[in-house]
Amino acid sequence: MLETGLIIRALMRNKIGALLIALQIALTMTIIVNAIFMIQDRQTKMQRNSGIDEDNTFYLTNTIFGQDYNIQAALHTDLDTLRKTPGVIDAIQINAIPLSGGGWSSGVQTEMGENKDAIGTAIYMVDDHAINAMGLELIAGENFSATDIQWRKSGQSTWPSKVIVTKALALSLYPDDWHTALGKTIYISQNQSIEIIGILKALQAPWNGWDGVERSMLVPFQMESKGSRLFIRTEPGKRDLLIPQIEKALAESDKGRIIRRLRTMEETRERSYQRHNATNKILTTVVITLTIITGFGIVGLAIFSINRRTKQIGTRRALGATRGQIMRYFMMENLLISGVGIFIGCIGAVGLNMWLVKTFQLSPINIELILFGIIALFIVGQIAVLYPARKASLISPATATRTV
Amino acid sequence: MLVMNNISKVFQTADVQTHALRDFNLTVNEGEFVSVTGPSGSGKTTFLNIAGLLETYSSGEFTLDGEDIGKLNDTGRSRMRNHKIGFIFQSFNLIPDLNLYDNVDVPLRYRGFNAKERKRRIEENLARVGLASRMKHLPSQLSGGQQQRVAIARALATDPRFLLADEPTGNLDSEMAQGVMTLLEEINQQGTTIIMVTHDAQLAQRSPRTIQVMDGRVSELELHLATANQQAIA
Repeated sequence: MLETGLIIRALMRNKIGALLIALQIALTMTIIVNAIFMIQDRQTKMQRNSGIDEDNTFYLTNTIFGQDYNIQAALHTDLDTLRKTPGVIDAIQINAIPLSGGGWSSGVQTEMGENKDAIGTAIYMVDDHAINAMGLELIAGENFSATDIQWRKSGQSTWPSKVIVTKALALSLYPDDWHTALGKTIYISQNQSIEIIGILKALQAPWNGWDGVERSMLVPFQMESKGSRLFIRTEPGKRDLLIPQIEKALAESDKGRIIRRLRTMEETRERSYQRHNATNKILTTVVITLTIITGFGIVGLAIFSINRRTKQIGTRRALGATRGQIMRYFMMENLLISGVGIFIGCIGAVGLNMWLVKTFQLSPINIELILFGIIALFIVGQIAVLYPARKASLISPATATRTV
Repeated sequence: MLVMNNISKVFQTADVQTHALRDFNLTVNEGEFVSVTGPSGSGKTTFLNIAGLLETYSSGEFTLDGEDIGKLNDTGRSRMRNHKIGFIFQSFNLIPDLNLYDNVDVPLRYRGFNAKERKRRIEENLARVGLASRMKHLPSQLSGGQQQRVAIARALATDPRFLLADEPTGNLDSEMAQGVMTLLEEINQQGTTIIMVTHDAQLAQRSPRTIQVMDGRVSELELHLATANQQAIA
């Protein structure tokens, strides 16, 4: 028979130790639930699909220093060379790299004029090979044609008449139905009209912390610039082999420029989420450390309590308690202390989350995580008390007759 | 009935073997009141521990109420203690954090009685020892004699066949000791077998039978009641 009532009444007369452990459990619950929530939040962000074939893509920076350089001709030659290289699927010039942290953005709106709500979007200036070179998925409309591509001079403020947008941008522009965005005219720089000719499934912006990271737009521009990036997609498994080959071929083909900063999209993702990863590691360490400390706290209190009550345990054994009943006593005692701590911890966890939501615009904690915290801490408590409870159960009933 | 045949108990440390009991033979019949005396270190407490199934023995045969104790495992011995044996300890061994009601409740919970039955037994036994009005008091709020009465109530609550008392008056003044002794005699008269370890020769003489333990053996068996009767006839 469980001794719940007796345990509660006994605990009420020795509140301090139990209360301290309950508060430790409460603090642990408050912190670990929110820490896990933050880890999950970051993990979810890190697992978002960039829309790109990340396994097989890389990019490089092409910096021209030669005088009287024909940028347009050189770019055509480079792209032609790259596209004909065995193992290369396609290549493009691009103004910015997804998830790299640096890029272009602008506001687009469905109505012309000032004071209209504009929606921010990342802008990728690319040619008609972009979808193939980046491994993007066009889910509606069509790709640019070769004749759509225009040369963009430095400082140019006009835009081409056609664009391809991501589904997320289409949905932001036309919240009722993203399909309706196709063929619509939208406005950039308040009054320049552009037509949406295609919709991509996904393409992330260069900034992973931006809440509009899924909103991107392909613009049919090639840049006449002395510094540009070339983005290359290879056949599966050939990327790492081709990177040094392509670097060497490009460098040797033209001595008037430098080829540098060759980086895969995998590396870019890793660098992009470096802080997230580091924070998650710190939070994981905090969660594990706190859980261990709480576990040891429970072990310590239980051992202290058992040592203090050796004769009492012997007496209980003498009165007929089996080893199992003694074990159950301490495990139930721990369950009750944990229950109080977890109850306070639930309130603390929700309170802290409310503050985090208000201060850092995080999303509210979900009930599953609270339930996970409850179950996890009950299990930690029971595991922690297992050894002391077993030790208590092995106290001889003859202890009752000894003078201790 | 308690029967011990050639019971030995050896305590073994790394270097030393101590024979606490050697070929200990004793039979206690149902309803008897037996006092066990002997000098310190003679083996009285070891005998009481073995008789109360608090400790195992090294060799010999021991049957309690027809049950071969040697064949019982730890759980079996615990159940036997709970069902058939009541203990009274020298230092009362009440649980300080529990009030009198809850203290008497402890062995009843191990027995698995329902709440109603436990309540009946607790109230009945606390009334029996004259402490019905102090059920909600903590042990620390009682005198030594009263605490020992609570311990007796706790021991009796499970209706044991055997009551084992280890120096039950050792921590009491003589007036309180007499009171406790009178209570034990009443309990014995109601049919409970009592085995009492004591240093107090006067107290031992109040029991119908006294055995003396010397060097781990029963050295002398004396039926005080018979002696007293003979003296009375003379």
